[in-house]
Amino acid sequence: MHGRPRKAYKPEEEAASAAKAAKLRALQSQFMANHHNKIYTKEAVDLSTKLLEINPEAYTAWNYRKLAVEDKLSRIESDPDLVKTILDEELRVVESALKQNFKSYGAWHHRKWVLSKGHSSVGNELRLLDQFQKLDTRNFHAWNYRRFVVELTKRSEQDELEYTDDMIGSDFSNYSAWHNRSVLLSSLLTRKADGFLPNKKIPDEYKLVQNAIFTDEDDQSGWFYHLWLLDQTVNVETPLLTSSWPLHGSRINLSAGCSNGSFSKLTTFGSESGSFPLVLYFDQAVCGVSSSTVTIDSELKGNEDLVWEPVSKKNSQVSCVWVARLKYISSEPCFGKEYKVKVRVGNSPGIVSSRGCNFSASYEFVFTAHVHDTVEESSQDGIVSWKDGFDIWDAESKDLNALATLDRSNAQMDSKWRQEAIAEEIDLFRELPDSKIGKLTLARLLMAKAMISDDAVKGVHYNEILELCKDLMALDSSHYQYYKDEHSVALLRKVTSSTEDLSGHLFRCRNMNNSVCLRLNNLSLSRIASVEKLLFVQMLDLSHNELHSTEGLEAMQLLSCLNLSHNRIRSFSALDSLRHLKQLRVLDVSHNHIGEHSVDTTRYLCSSPLSNSEWPQDEVGSQMPSLVTKYWDAYFVLRDLNLKQLDITGNVIAGDEFSSFVLQVVPKLVWLDGKKLEI
Amino acid sequence: MEEIPSMTVSQRDQFLVLNDVFRIYSDFDASDIATQIFTVEIQRDKQLDYLMNGLRHLGPSFSSLDANLPWICYWILHSIALLGESVDDELENNTIDFLGRCQGSDGGYGGGPGQLAHLATSYAAVNTLVTLGGDKALSSINREKMSSFLRRMKDPDGGFRVHDMGEMDVRACYLAISIASILNILDDELTRGLGDYILSCQTYEGGIGGEPGSEAHAGNTYCGLATMALITEVDRLNLDSLMNWIVHQQGVERGFQGRTNKLVDGCYTFWQAAPCVLLQRLYSAHDLVLQGSLHMSQPRDEDHEEHAHDEDDPESDDDDSDEDSNEDCRRVQPVFDSLNLQRYVILCSMVPEGGFRDKPGKPRDFYHTCYCLSGLSVAQHAWSKDKDTPPLNSDILGSYANHLEQVQLLHNVVMDRYNKAIAFFHRAV
Repeated sequence: MHGRPRKAYKPEEEAASAAKAAKLRALQSQFMANHHNKIYTKEAVDLSTKLLEINPEAYTAWNYRKLAVEDKLSRIESDPDLVKTILDEELRVVESALKQNFKSYGAWHHRKWVLSKGHSSVGNELRLLDQFQKLDTRNFHAWNYRRFVVELTKRSEQDELEYTDDMIGSDFSNYSAWHNRSVLLSSLLTRKADGFLPNKKIPDEYKLVQNAIFTDEDDQSGWFYHLWLLDQTVNVETPLLTSSWPLHGSRINLSAGCSNGSFSKLTTFGSESGSFPLVLYFDQAVCGVSSSTVTIDSELKGNEDLVWEPVSKKNSQVSCVWVARLKYISSEPCFGKEYKVKVRVGNSPGIVSSRGCNFSASYEFVFTAHVHDTVEESSQDGIVSWKDGFDIWDAESKDLNALATLDRSNAQMDSKWRQEAIAEEIDLFRELPDSKIGKLTLARLLMAKAMISDDAVKGVHYNEILELCKDLMALDSSHYQYYKDEHSVALLRKVTSSTEDLSGHLFRCRNMNNSVCLRLNNLSLSRIASVEKLLFVQMLDLSHNELHSTEGLEAMQLLSCLNLSHNRIRSFSALDSLRHLKQLRVLDVSHNHIGEHSVDTTRYLCSSPLSNSEWPQDEVGSQMPSLVTKYWDAYFVLRDLNLKQLDITGNVIAGDEFSSFVLQVVPKLVWLDGKKLEI
Repeated sequence: MEEIPSMTVSQRDQFLVLNDVFRIYSDFDASDIATQIFTVEIQRDKQLDYLMNGLRHLGPSFSSLDANLPWICYWILHSIALLGESVDDELENNTIDFLGRCQGSDGGYGGGPGQLAHLATSYAAVNTLVTLGGDKALSSINREKMSSFLRRMKDPDGGFRVHDMGEMDVRACYLAISIASILNILDDELTRGLGDYILSCQTYEGGIGGEPGSEAHAGNTYCGLATMALITEVDRLNLDSLMNWIVHQQGVERGFQGRTNKLVDGCYTFWQAAPCVLLQRLYSAHDLVLQGSLHMSQPRDEDHEEHAHDEDDPESDDDDSDEDSNEDCRRVQPVFDSLNLQRYVILCSMVPEGGFRDKPGKPRDFYHTCYCLSGLSVAQHAWSKDKDTPPLNSDILGSYANHLEQVQLLHNVVMDRYNKAIAFFHRAV
């Protein structure tokens, strides 16, 4: 759609071009007549040649020629010489059209079409490409065509790689050449071509790109290639299971019924439905998690055909997080017993990443579920306070190790060369102290190093990353928010990087049945991260931060109490991810910015008519349509939550009208804004 | 000019552009206030003269040889709409009639009368007619035939071809889905496999290329992202890396480049800034939007038809009771440098006699005029988290007289024209 720049009109040119235009107009109308009457005589075809040589953009004429060629080919009894003559003529026309405008989509496409007829000479095509690529080394039509020719003629990728060597050698700022290099290398490395092992090849590539970067650190080409290399060093394409709840080898306590009976020192999970969530967290979004790809082996009855649901947006069947609910209360009495549950992920193929890679390393984990039979009614309708009744966590306790997730993903990688490569890069980039991009790359390298190194040294890296982010915020204020978010991510990674770090933030809540409470308040967080390591958390205090949204929290399926007071939430739709938290009972969103302005982004984002019909009409919706219309964002979130306690004071939206609306939408609510409701 | 030692061609070109641009900036900084105020003003009269002339130049018969006449109509008329103006009845009628003649008997629009239907010119024609607005313009589109044209362009691989036997790329996907969405003819058949195709074009840089294997490109990044938003699959993209790529395409001149390590060009102001604003609003406004819940104030099916008729402006029933209690919270810090981006467009791309260009030294044209103005509008509204928050004085480079109409980011048509068209096509059965 990028139009070719048109020449500006100058009066003296106009007169000259007017005469030319008249002639061309006649040409064009004659051509159109031929086209509509399907006339493919030599004169008619020559006319289209003339037209295209003047205006290569006349795509109708390209199509006409395709039809004409098909017509001619159908008449000659596949005489190879004649076929060659016909197709050669097409190539000639394309070539002269490209000389007129080498950005013509239609011309390049016509050439591809001719070649697809089995008519090509690699030598000719590459010679032509060389011409165009010398004229404009970044012409993406030419690069695309080059990849097409290479694939069609099965030219070796190694040869093409050498071509990028030449291109980069003569101009290291040619990013198109770097890009093509990454495409070629990806393919060669993936199919493990001779001499293309990552542990050998990637370090060589680092050396190559260092040359470019250190020659001119303002030249962007090298930096982006470097980013790709880092990606190759750290990431594996196949999806991996990052964590789960419960964890392998862990023991969970389940209470029967809806009681919050107190079992001293034991963290207990209770649920009204008599089921508990089984959570799988993958390192990238996957689809295809089902009772056939994930099998459960346990004595807990009624879990044969588990329903796995993606914890993601409504229409999406891909997600990093998948949850199934395991029943633990059946008709037979089973209390006071222990059950082993064996989960096998990837039992049969079918779990696939959104990029089409299969989850191949099947993985098994086992945990023990202890179902308690003591049902002790406690006043579960008491107000939950975030101030009192918290015990600090005993850092020595074994519980913590059982809770915190280990990095499993990296154990599977041959990490030695990766660590070495990254360490070498880090040393190098420490020598580029004042450049913005140098700092950013160093931060990324350190982040990568932290991902694949031992717990003990991680903290040091994170501290350095945090400093770099702060420097960057000051140095490059136009990307302030970007670095701020990076800072939040690094901070959360640091907090979750070791049991020592984490235990400083962990508490037990006595009044809440010793629930595990994580306090991440007052950290100026603008974004949530590292959730995969926090799946066990039942109470979460995120108050006094700078959060705009709860995105990410949807994975924390055990969460029953959430404190978001004093943040920057500005509408209920920013809380949308909470709809996935079936256990959530207590929500504090006081002192945010909800209602200061109505969110209606229809003017920016048009929803798909596909989903228009899904507008659900339920009881509340039909009873008070005007309030639902007014508070639609609150409505869509609150009606899916099962809250007992909600605090919205200190928001513009709070008021009598909104309170009465909330009571209708959340009939089970017991506490609103710190006051007990009359039932 | 001093000698430039051992530079690559790209570096030399970059150096020359920087030289031009920074000379313009320093001249500007050195001039007195009155000159500065005058220089940064978008000379609306000059702009309109240039645009109106261009439209008339096409002549009453629109008999140019180009294969992209609907584009020229769109570039000009959308630019006029951004300036808050419209054309007289005669020009409007001529345009509607002309586009009617470009409409093929099998649906879709060609680049001129008799030409093969093409997705790009169909998109341009639809957006032009939406921009003109009114029953005559909107009802001139044959939606049924357009729907079958789009189906013919759909490739079994999930993507779209630009015309019969034409090329398939991300651009084509966007054009098709944008048309289908605005005309309310989008369905499962059109979206099937499309998300997978777009996904296969996102590169490791974060941006989106034109076809699988291509390097990331601003126009295709916009097209891919907007397509994914329109088919509600945007969360499948790697949005973090996409954002990362875009913000790094804003160069030291503060204009945007279209690909990694390429030269700045005014038109990318739109192609790059729009995805940024789109993503920022996605992050804050969240996925309810994408689930379609937001259309509750709009007509959605036959049952609501009667009700719909008295809602010409679907936004009119909004709750606007809130006051400017806290401006900060309606606002977001753009991830790009918006004011300096505006400075690039106005000082380097704007031609004082009217029109906009790629960069100093290049000729003006309607394409760049359209996308520079669209981009300026996006940049001016980049702080607003939602549609009702007008930009502050401080968001706009120059006086408030520079304020341009707001665009609908997914289709690049002026917001209220979009709203009226949506209401119209949701009423249409």
